[in-house]
Amino acid sequence: MSTRHTRHARHTRHRLTAATAVLAVALLTATASACTSAQKPSQDPATAPEPGTLRVLASSELSDMTPVLARVEKDTGIKVRPTYMGTLDAVDMLAGGKTDGVYDALWLSSNDYLRLRPDAAKKVVSETSVMASPVAIGVKAATVAELGWKPEQVTWSQVEEAVQDGKLTYGMTDPARSNSGFSTLISVASGLSGAQSALTDADVTKATPRLKEFFKGQKLTSGSSGWLADAYERRGTVDALLNYESVLKGIPGLTVIRPRDGVVTADYPVTSLASTDATTREEVRRLTEALRTPAIQRRITDVTHRRPVVASVPPAAGLDTSRRRELPFPGSRSVADGLLDAYENELRRPSRTVYVLDTSGSMGGERLSALKAALRGLTGDFRQREEVTLMPFGSDVKSVRTHVVSPADPKSGLDAIRRDTDALNADGDTAIYTSLEKAYRQLGADRDTFTSIVLMTDGENTAGAKASEFDGFYRRLPAGQRDIPVFPILFGDSDRAELAHIAELTGGRLFDAQQGSLDGAFKEIRGYQ
Amino acid sequence: MRRIAGIVLAVLLICGVVAAVLAGRDNGDQGTATKTVRGVVGSEKAEFFADPDVVKALATKGYTVKTETSGSWAMEGLDLKGYDFAFPSSKAPADELAAKYKARQPLPRPFYSPLVVVAHRNAAEVLAANGLAVLDKGQHRGTLKMAAYLAAAGKDRTWQQLKGADRYGELTGTLYIASTDPESSSSGALYLAATSYVANGGRVVASEADVDRTAPLMHKLISVQGAQQPSSDAAFRDFVSGAGNPLVMVYESQVAALLGDRQSAGDLTVLYPDTTANSDHTVVPLTEEGRALGELLSDDPVLRKLAVRHGFRPQGDAAEFVAATAAHAAYLNQTLTGVRQPPVPTSKVLHEIALRARGQS
Repeated sequence: MSTRHTRHARHTRHRLTAATAVLAVALLTATASACTSAQKPSQDPATAPEPGTLRVLASSELSDMTPVLARVEKDTGIKVRPTYMGTLDAVDMLAGGKTDGVYDALWLSSNDYLRLRPDAAKKVVSETSVMASPVAIGVKAATVAELGWKPEQVTWSQVEEAVQDGKLTYGMTDPARSNSGFSTLISVASGLSGAQSALTDADVTKATPRLKEFFKGQKLTSGSSGWLADAYERRGTVDALLNYESVLKGIPGLTVIRPRDGVVTADYPVTSLASTDATTREEVRRLTEALRTPAIQRRITDVTHRRPVVASVPPAAGLDTSRRRELPFPGSRSVADGLLDAYENELRRPSRTVYVLDTSGSMGGERLSALKAALRGLTGDFRQREEVTLMPFGSDVKSVRTHVVSPADPKSGLDAIRRDTDALNADGDTAIYTSLEKAYRQLGADRDTFTSIVLMTDGENTAGAKASEFDGFYRRLPAGQRDIPVFPILFGDSDRAELAHIAELTGGRLFDAQQGSLDGAFKEIRGYQ
Repeated sequence: MRRIAGIVLAVLLICGVVAAVLAGRDNGDQGTATKTVRGVVGSEKAEFFADPDVVKALATKGYTVKTETSGSWAMEGLDLKGYDFAFPSSKAPADELAAKYKARQPLPRPFYSPLVVVAHRNAAEVLAANGLAVLDKGQHRGTLKMAAYLAAAGKDRTWQQLKGADRYGELTGTLYIASTDPESSSSGALYLAATSYVANGGRVVASEADVDRTAPLMHKLISVQGAQQPSSDAAFRDFVSGAGNPLVMVYESQVAALLGDRQSAGDLTVLYPDTTANSDHTVVPLTEEGRALGELLSDDPVLRKLAVRHGFRPQGDAAEFVAATAAHAAYLNQTLTGVRQPPVPTSKVLHEIALRARGQS
């Protein structure tokens, strides 16, 4: 968890005072558990009701609003307690009634997708846009020069051409987990399909070959904008990032380009819910009103690089005010879901993952059952073409079993993973580092995939290689292999410092299943694979 | 003691009665207890009710008004128990609500506002150069020729096909007016009321045959837009923030209120469709207090004046609006010269038009 906080703190843009940093940490602690947990709402500190506090289900990039919200709290007495979540999950929760009594308001980057779901839309009372940010592409200045681009003239087709010529690689967030990724996918698909109006199923089908080429250039994926920026900086070899203009403006060295042929804009509507009472909705209205005052609008654009929605406040310096066509968001759920499905199973590069799973003696009983349940749950989430290796370990690696979810017969691969999961047994010591080394050897050189290692352990290293030995091993790996991150999951009695170090060393990120559930942690990691 | 005061203040904030307390203190009217009246209003009236002067004027008359916003057609789906009034943006949803809650006719209709199209100068000039609009010389306003626009939309015209559009990067893609969701929002439904009248040969759509005849074009006007905004406020915000479609259907009141707020509206151009629809902001009283409030909004000179400040045209006296908006005559067609305002189809028919327009066909 500590890595996660420092990473966030480092990349949360501008003027984070010590006090707000502490607040941010507190918020993240609270929200992290909500993201990865299936706990009862009443036990969860993030969702327990508290007078004067609005529990808001929000897009994760809104963490940059912390200093602005502190100001709003000072002005109005209204405190916002955000829980961060991707659009799709949030809309599912809303539609399924799981937000009822748990959240007081919704604050996503856009409600466009929500409105495609009548079961979710009917839970909304009112929504008010409070700021805006278009999707953009942030390109390294050197790459802009090499490509000979004039930023104000660049089109999506030019971006595509550069990717095809092997002159441009980029990172973006996972559309299924992150609002920014979802908007990016819609922008790219609309831009490249040549559709003159809202995308249809036929447009998506027609654009598929071009999109496939385009997504070959994607070298980084991430469940959140913050980690994407970290990975981009660490990797050093990726030329560009696709994300909201507001996110890209916060990353040094990027030339931020809004393609000339159009973008999708996030408009961040503060949304009140039918499940709440009139008093709560009045609070939400007051919050909205406060966010739309000129003073706060000015602060929003200065601090977060988003665009104001009040005519009297100009966008912050550095935000280009020339106009862009707004690409229409699909008007039906089948188009939006179809596009997502195509991205996951067909368009993007496949993922390749080794699951290094602690099945030492201490995992016996409930813990092993939880692990098995979580893995079985994951089989519903694996994408076509994905390669999954299960590497259970105790005193040493016990077995190495690799399965591919083949598009022709996805069931047989998934069944095999389930069978191997059922056969897991708890015995032996805990050889974390030896097993990790074997995972790196197993993966070998990076192929044309998103490659990563997931490490789940419930204890400290008690056998095999030591931490320092693993550090040396990792540093001696060839550059390509050093790009493979380890995503450790904190579970049972595992040691936070030990796992945080592994995440830090390999450029991964720590996930917490001590506060939340194992199931939730595995699912959250999907965004990074 | 301070601590206790803090707690009391916190409780007041939570209960949302601060406005009443402040208003009571402002007008020195402590003698009369104010009545709290709750209502659900169309988004375009949220700022009117939030205006401190409106709060004060209402308090003088003994009212504290608490409002929530909702799409006019979506009000039907809300549980309005505990509310004193609903205030949708047009007559059709108001009549439906009145029937549902057995509110007595006639319903108070304090003010109205015509639908207009907002555009930036570039887009307006391209429309004019291609015979789709006429701009008033030297002004920031003009007339949108609805028949010509519908003919272009029917043929899937793109901006690229219009002469002069290639100079502006943002003018690409299918030519359309962005409107709100006609199934939940009044302005979107009124857009269909106006366009269906033109498409039906200058007759109000009334029969099944009329609906059938106009449905393909109505469906095209809506489906090209993809996801639509749920409220006219959201659509107008997008336009103001520089995002969104080049042409957006909004209420004149939103434009007038914006002009009243600031010195310059940049290169905003207001196009009055030669055939448009009016939003008749209609109060549906759910209690006697609600009815009294509706009548107060219609009759009280101070509140009428404040309504004009927020861009609305009070019923029954055109001069009030003309005088108050004199400074913005360059943008506003104050007397609605050359603007036809045909009647709106019955709510049943309008629902049917909206349903067919939105449907996947």
